[in-house]
Amino acid sequence: MEKRYGSFAPSVADLSFSLGQGELLGLLGPSGCGKTTTLRMISGLVQATSGTIRVGGQDVTHLPTYRRNMGVMFQSYALFPHMTIAENVAFGLQMRKVRKPDIATRVASALAMVRLDGVADRKPRELSGGQQQRVALARALVVEPDILLLDEPLSNLDAKLRDNMRNEIREIQQRLRMTTVFVTHDQTEAMAICDRIVVMNRGKLEQIGTPLDIYERPATPMVAEFVGRINRLEGQWRNDGAIAVGDSLIRANANGGTGRVLIMIRPHRIDLAAAGEPGAGSPEENMVAGTIRHITYVGDTLQYAVATAGGLLQVEKATSSATDPFQPGDSVALRWKTRDTLSFSSEATG
Amino acid sequence: MTVSALEANDAKRGGRSLLSALLLPIVLVNILVFVAPVANLAAMSFRSAAATGAMIEGFNLSTWSSLISDAYYWSMLWRTVWIGALITLVALVLSYPLALFVSRATRAKALLIVLCISPLLISAVVRTYGWMVILGDQGFLPAMLRSFNLTPPRLINNQLGVIIGMTEILMPYMILSLLSGFGKLDATLEQAAETLGAGPFTVFRRIVLPLSMPGILLGCLLCFVLAVSSFITPKMLGGGRVALLATEIYDQAIVTLNWPVAACLSVLILIVFGTALLFYGQLSKIVE
Repeated sequence: MEKRYGSFAPSVADLSFSLGQGELLGLLGPSGCGKTTTLRMISGLVQATSGTIRVGGQDVTHLPTYRRNMGVMFQSYALFPHMTIAENVAFGLQMRKVRKPDIATRVASALAMVRLDGVADRKPRELSGGQQQRVALARALVVEPDILLLDEPLSNLDAKLRDNMRNEIREIQQRLRMTTVFVTHDQTEAMAICDRIVVMNRGKLEQIGTPLDIYERPATPMVAEFVGRINRLEGQWRNDGAIAVGDSLIRANANGGTGRVLIMIRPHRIDLAAAGEPGAGSPEENMVAGTIRHITYVGDTLQYAVATAGGLLQVEKATSSATDPFQPGDSVALRWKTRDTLSFSSEATG
Repeated sequence: MTVSALEANDAKRGGRSLLSALLLPIVLVNILVFVAPVANLAAMSFRSAAATGAMIEGFNLSTWSSLISDAYYWSMLWRTVWIGALITLVALVLSYPLALFVSRATRAKALLIVLCISPLLISAVVRTYGWMVILGDQGFLPAMLRSFNLTPPRLINNQLGVIIGMTEILMPYMILSLLSGFGKLDATLEQAAETLGAGPFTVFRRIVLPLSMPGILLGCLLCFVLAVSSFITPKMLGGGRVALLATEIYDQAIVTLNWPVAACLSVLILIVFGTALLFYGQLSKIVE
């Protein structure tokens, strides 16, 4: 499907993915990548310029929003300020002409599900942000939608509440086997609860995969960089399948190629040892010599900036109660597994 | 009481006396130019005037009783209220879509607002003359109707003319009030209602209308009060044939020189306003 605004470049183009029943799919990407537009196309609030959206085999592309049976939770929650909490939750049921006594029981059970009993008669403004969020979730779920759409649901909460709420959403989603699309720009959030993640950038699909795929086997350098800190080295493929970076040789997870290549390694996958220790790299392990430039202490980790022949590498180690064995200026040997060495030949790097 | 509590108390007392000092000038001005004249007016309504216009010594209820027993004044009061209410209603119906459009506009919103309220830059008298040119027997609109071989209805020197002119003159106030009320109306709320299964009409009835109620009430109060109290436009477009409370007050005070009757009618109009304000307060509470 595709969405074009006016004569500008499409904000979402050539995007295609499918959702399994009961699956929690994450739409992940930097702001402005088109993930919210995608969500709004699914909900019908934005018309797709081309392409189709199917729900359970039925083409809903041209159905207006109010005939689509989607449950949407908005970033700002969008609770109706003039209605009580119970009225907010009941709204969707009233629209579906559910009988009054049934509405009352379903509203009560929806509020109980999000652990919000006893606030039914209050107005939204009397509730905290976290409570408002639960109301929004209850309101979206009570109508038993075909798909639950969550637009950055956690971005307005403080850090601690966010983790709780994240797990709670996941727990409810699992219990109801609710097919869900979750839009976020926070890779940790997406990794933590999604079955599969769609990584988007500039309106285009970068990769679809499980959190493990996305992190360990990113399809593009953009994905690799977006899901966590990572080192970049530029190199040249050699005929024997190794990569020449400066005057050292590095082996990567791919078995050779031609031309220029971008190598990426996660900082915490690199081991540091004092220089001069034996071992010069093997098919399974890379070894590069370097000099420590900076050490940054950030509580749970120590971050080393190490100058090597190929460039500056970031190395991250969990701190321990023992004193740090390295000082800036020390010569060190860096080792890391070949399979942790991501390589992107220049065709792929764009 | 601790020392700090005592100090806080002192500070509060200091703040209060400063507040009183700052409020004193406006209170004095209000007493001088508003409370005193109204009290004087109320007092005057209990006097009576000789045929020459000279006021007779002493207070009595004779002016009030002759007024209350006169059906002419009752029908005038009734006419004033319904014409004011009708003008308010028409102004509301015409202004609502306009205000909604302006509040939704993304481009040139400021320009649209200025356009809506720009009529206020021209005096109501001038705009009334404009309406006389348009509605008058030889005016623009009847001439146009005649060119289509239609017989134009009387559009001036009757209630219709007053209602048309007053509605247009009061619309900017209505639009401004509505615009201030639309502030609460977040487009996301309508989208949320849509995703829950509400069609366009239901969205309007259940979301847009209730949330714009404060603006509607404010605009109605303002327009009603202004409609009831204005006398230039009704006089000019009514051609002396539409007797309203405000025009009658003018006539009694300036033409007939019967100030006690004018004072009585003024008190009556104040009661009308008070009732409108009471309604507004009650309705506001319900809306909240």
